[in-house]
Order: sequence, then C-alpha cells, then structure tokens
Amino acid sequence: MKQAKLAFLLLVILAVVLAGCGSGKSNNSGTSGSGSTSSSSGSGGSGSSGSSSGSETPAPKKDPVTLTFVIANTVNATPFTKIFEKYTEATGNKVELQALPGGEYDNMMKTRFATGDFPDLFLMQPGTKQNVKLRAEETLYEWSDEPGIWDVVQPSIKEFQTTAEGTIYGVPFGATGMMGVFYNKDVFAKVGVEPPKNYADLLAIAQKIKDAGIVPFYEAVKDGWPPQIFYLTGWVTYVDPEIGPEGVRALDTNQLKLADIPSLRGLFEKAKQIKELGYFQDNALAGTYDELQDWLGEGKVAMAFNLEGIVPQLEAKFGKEFVEQKLGFFPFPSDTDDGIAMLTAPNQLMVPKDAKHAAEAVELVKFMLQPEMINLFYAEQPGIPIFKDAQSTLYPVQQTVLDYINKGKAMINVQNRLTPTFADLQKTLQMFFMEGDIDAAINEFSENYVKDGKAKRLPGFE
Amino acid sequence: MGKLKYPLYFLYPALAVFLLFFITPTVIGFYYSFTDWNINAKEIKFIGLANYEALFQEPRLKTALKNTLIFSASVTLLQNLFGLALALVMNEALKTRNLLRTIFFMPYVIAPLIIGYIFRAIYHPDRGILNVFLREIGLGGMARDWLNDPNIALYSIIMTDIWKVAGFSMVIYLAGLQFIPKDLTECASIDGANYWSRFRHIVFPLLAPAFTVNVLLSMISSMKVFEMVWALTEGGPGYTTEVFYTYIRAMFSSGEFGYATAVNLVLFVMVTAIGVPVLLALKKREVEM
Repeated sequence: MKQAKLAFLLLVILAVVLAGCGSGKSNNSGTSGSGSTSSSSGSGGSGSSGSSSGSETPAPKKDPVTLTFVIANTVNATPFTKIFEKYTEATGNKVELQALPGGEYDNMMKTRFATGDFPDLFLMQPGTKQNVKLRAEETLYEWSDEPGIWDVVQPSIKEFQTTAEGTIYGVPFGATGMMGVFYNKDVFAKVGVEPPKNYADLLAIAQKIKDAGIVPFYEAVKDGWPPQIFYLTGWVTYVDPEIGPEGVRALDTNQLKLADIPSLRGLFEKAKQIKELGYFQDNALAGTYDELQDWLGEGKVAMAFNLEGIVPQLEAKFGKEFVEQKLGFFPFPSDTDDGIAMLTAPNQLMVPKDAKHAAEAVELVKFMLQPEMINLFYAEQPGIPIFKDAQSTLYPVQQTVLDYINKGKAMINVQNRLTPTFADLQKTLQMFFMEGDIDAAINEFSENYVKDGKAKRLPGFE
Repeated sequence: MGKLKYPLYFLYPALAVFLLFFITPTVIGFYYSFTDWNINAKEIKFIGLANYEALFQEPRLKTALKNTLIFSASVTLLQNLFGLALALVMNEALKTRNLLRTIFFMPYVIAPLIIGYIFRAIYHPDRGILNVFLREIGLGGMARDWLNDPNIALYSIIMTDIWKVAGFSMVIYLAGLQFIPKDLTECASIDGANYWSRFRHIVFPLLAPAFTVNVLLSMISSMKVFEMVWALTEGGPGYTTEVFYTYIRAMFSSGEFGYATAVNLVLFVMVTAIGVPVLLALKKREVEM
C-alpha cells in the first residue's frame, strides 16, 4: 500500500514537471534567456502604425506583436524598459527584454546566429569589428541609407559606424564612455595632492598617499578584466602618438606586431614598476571589482584604473552626493603632460535580417531615436550624448572627459578600432602580475592577437 | 519454472536512442576534429592532422594536462581514502549513524557551482572563515590566499572536491561492507584477529567490487573536472589551475570548434587509455563470495 502511494505520488510529480515543461512556450518570440523581463504595459485598440514621431500618441495596433530585445546583463536595462513602456503605449507592441550574461554575451550571440535563433533586436558592443563576428553582410539589416536615423546622430559617431566599404549595420545608441583613473577627492585632499601633471607626478602622488598609510591603487586581478584598463588607457597616451593611425591600420592587417611596439613594452614596464613600488593593495590577486568600489568609496584606496560603468555602481553604494562631489577622474598621464582621455564608443542596435519581427524592430529603433526617447534615456542614464541636440546632465567625471574632448585631447579605445580582439589579455596580465616577465607577457599578448585574427579569417592573418 | 525470456527487439528503442544521441555525435565529432570548423568560416575544410599538430605544441594544453593529472590522481586517492574511512566508521553501531551518513552525503547533492561560491567565501584571504579561524587560534602564519596563490590554488580546489565527493564513495563502500557476512569477521575476532588484521585480510579483499567501482568512477569524473575549477578559479590566476575542460571551453568559446573537438578527443583517448587497464587490473583482484 505504502509503495502504491509512493508510486502515485511520483507519477503526480512527474505529470506536474512535464506539464511545467510543456507550458513554457510562448505563442510568439518565445526564445528563452536568463533574467528576462517584460516591459509590457498597455495594449489593445486599433489604428495607425507605431512609428510616428512627436508628442502625438498614435493609437495602438490592432494585432500587436511581442519583440525580443537582447542585451548583456552588465548594461543598465532601466532606460530601455522606460522607452519600451512608451513604445507599448504608442503601438500596442510589447518588447520582451532578455538579459544575457555579460561575460558570455559575444559567444551566446554568435551561437544564436550560428543556429538561426535570432532575436528581433539586440544591443551589441561598439565598432565595425562586430560585423565580422556576426557575418553582417549575410545576417544583418543594413542601415546605411535608412531615413530617420542619421539626421539625429552626430557625424563623427556615424563615421565610426561606417565600414571601409561605406556600409552601416548598427545604429549607435547610448553615450560616449570613458576609461581612466577614478580617484577619491577626499583622499587627495587629506594627503594634499592634486591630479597629476605628468607620469612622474603620478608616481610622486602615489608615494605620498602610501606614506599617509592609504593604498594608492586598487587592482582587481581576480576578476581579470580590470587590469586591462591600465594598458588600454595607456595606449592612447603612449602608443597612439608613437604609431599613429597608420600603425593601427598596420596592426589591423597584421603588418605590425604588438611585440614590436616599444611604447607598449613601456606600459608593461610601468605596470611592473607600480607593483614593485608597493602601490597596489595587499592580496591584489584576490582583488575584485566589487571590493574595488567599496574601497574607493570608503577612502581605503585613492585611485583605480577603471571604466565609466563604475559611476552608477558607486552611486548605488555611496549615493549621488559621492559621485557628484567626491569622485574625480583623470587620464593616464604622459611623460610630459596630463595625457589623453580614452573614450569608448556607444553600443549599437542591430536587427537580424531574418528576425521574426524585423520590420517592427526597424520601426522600434526609429521610435527610440525620437528626441523624447533619447532625452528619456539620458535622464535615466546620464552620459556624453551622441545625438544632436540631446539633453543630458553630466556627472562631474563625465564633464572632465568632455573638457578633454573639447580640447582635442581624447581618442577612441583602440579595441574599438581594431578588428581582431586582444584575446585572453586578462589571463596574460594575471600571469604577468604573478611572474613579472615582460618578454613572456608581451609575446603572448602579440601571439594571441594574431591567433584571434587567424581564427576570424581576417585578411593578412590567414 | 523456467526463466522468462524477453525478445531481443525490446532492446531496439533504447539502442536507437543511444545510436542517435551518443554514437552518431561521437563519430561526427571524430570527423570534425580533422577539419578547420570555425564559427567565422564560411565552409568546413578537411585539414588532416593539423589540429592535433597544433594542440601538441600549445603550452597552455601542457599546463592543462599536468593539472588534470595531478587533480585526478589526488582526488582518486584521497576520495577513496576518506570515503572508505567514513564508511568504516558509519558501519559501526553509532547512535547518530543515520544522521551522520546524511550529513556526509549531503555535499554530493549540492550543485558544484554553489559549492564553488561557498568555498570562494571560505577561502577569502582577509574575510574567509578559514584564515579567520587560523588567526584566531594563533596559526596566522598558516593563513594563505588559498585560491589566488599559484602554488596552492590547485590543491585548494582538490580539497574542496574531496569534501564534496567523499560522501558518495562512502555510500558505495557502505553497500559493499553490508554485503560482507558478519560471521566471517566474528570468526576472525574469536580467533584473536585484531581490527587491522580483520580489515586487511577479510574486509578489504571482500570490498574489491566496491573498490573497483569507486576508483573507476572517481578517476573518470576527476579527469573530466570542470564545474569546481570554473566556480572557484576559472582556471586562474592566469593559467595556473587550467584543466582540460576549462581549456576546451575556452576554445569552443572562441569559435574554434574543430580544434576544441580534437582536444576533447585527446581527453577521451586519455581517459580510455588509463581507465581500461585500471579496470582490468582491479577486476582481477575481485574475489567471489
């Protein structure tokens, strides 16, 4: 009897599980994704199409569809959900937002493309090199001559989106970002130092901070990606002036090796010197991005090489007042002056040609580029605008970068300008941090870059 | 009453599923390991042994091979040692026996990723309970950066894995112990054999089938380790705790499918080359009761 009851119970559980599996499929656009949320609000009604502009609200469509929009979970989704709520109100169409893990985003998107599992719209990292990854010519909608797009985008940003052949596969959306040295102004004031005027000055500042019993720099080696920022920001100050745009083009076609660039070697020497001078925290190998924010906010560390994404994180942890009054920024200083600010290009919206709702996705992109939606985006996420006449209240650190842009002392991240990626750089830098072997590190950096070019079957690398 | 015989065709559905979902992909995978299959390539070309030539020259794979062998040998040895010791204790008439058996088996049912995150906190150099405890009892000199010191990170992962799987070996050994007739050990006791003699001459030889299963399972699963390494160190710092599967994952992630399949095949051959002789050797020492 007991066994019969148990068998019955198991059968019921099995039935429930199977029913659960079966009911997961939605009637449209139902691809699964981690952390997916829906921005649905109003629906129903009948009337005109949803792409009309201005403050006039078009009546919702008769047969609304649900579009899938994929982003990395490292991107702040709130501004997008706000825009999608407006889109739903205007058209009746809903947008299902799927947030994929940031570290795996590239691979997951490549896999989805390889298997034909296209989202309707997705947000991709900047640069035309994404076209190679996704085989844009075959798979993506082309925006080159699309009306209602390029008249609102700043010309320099449009130029950045354009391939050598003059085609555009992504619509920029977001803000110009930055990487460099973020510092705690209270710590600087306590020690009595100012942002450095040159590299020697930076080392002198670090020494004073260390003498005051505060850690000069935090290095999040455990997380892998933060140590790269030292080299990427150092690149625009040291490497770009040495090799120029021709050098970058030569790297892009494998005519120049990373290992043969003296100023790049110089960056490895500088990093090694900072470590040997004891300017990083103890246990830097266990350092994480999360702890970096805590230490910088609490004033346990004075400076950190990092990216703009740290600003909202610090705001969430230490409040708006902290990021507005206590957080400062300066670029990687050169040997002779305060250096060049490193900019990151905005992410881009892309629509797969074969997406189920490709036409609606194109209309959604146009909806997102309406002035009200752009301003709504910047209200939620302040940043240096990439759209003409856009309004955004900048954080002071962003204003600092804007001043560098206005002075003509800013350059786009080299990673955004090269087609191959700096593959496994984080592993190389972890090994370098432990072993301090400059030759081994720069050779591995160089070889992995060439391997990536070969893997992507790029001209000059095969 | 004669034995009931079922017709052979009852086997066909299971065989079809096995052929379709295991044998076919394996054979196809074998073929792909000889191609340049790449996520960026427009067509897949046969390239002979080029993938194999490349992988044997890859220093990262040498590190992965060394770490995998250290991991596998250590885990196989210690898992069985701890599993057997636990089984012997849990086979005694303790009041809390059932509770303790559950407690020791419990880590095995927790997902490796969860264990990884728990132990990342335990091993933290400043706030981790292990170093805090060592400092509290005056052994602060032994406190280490358990997961980020390249000299000990792999061994920290090994100990964590053993904590997880020792309970599983215990269960198999317990089942083996309960199959040993009590009269054999009782007779030996009456004849004056002490605990060690009884274990060495009666219990251990009769545990041979359980030993074979345990050694083989622990060896194969530890050579295929992935989740524990990934959750604790992601193969780092640098490449210092890289194992075969973290390397294979990296290659698949970069879209080098043909090459990654070749590495996977090398691991398959390695597991077979070590597993089969071990199985044959252990089978030989099993005794019939």
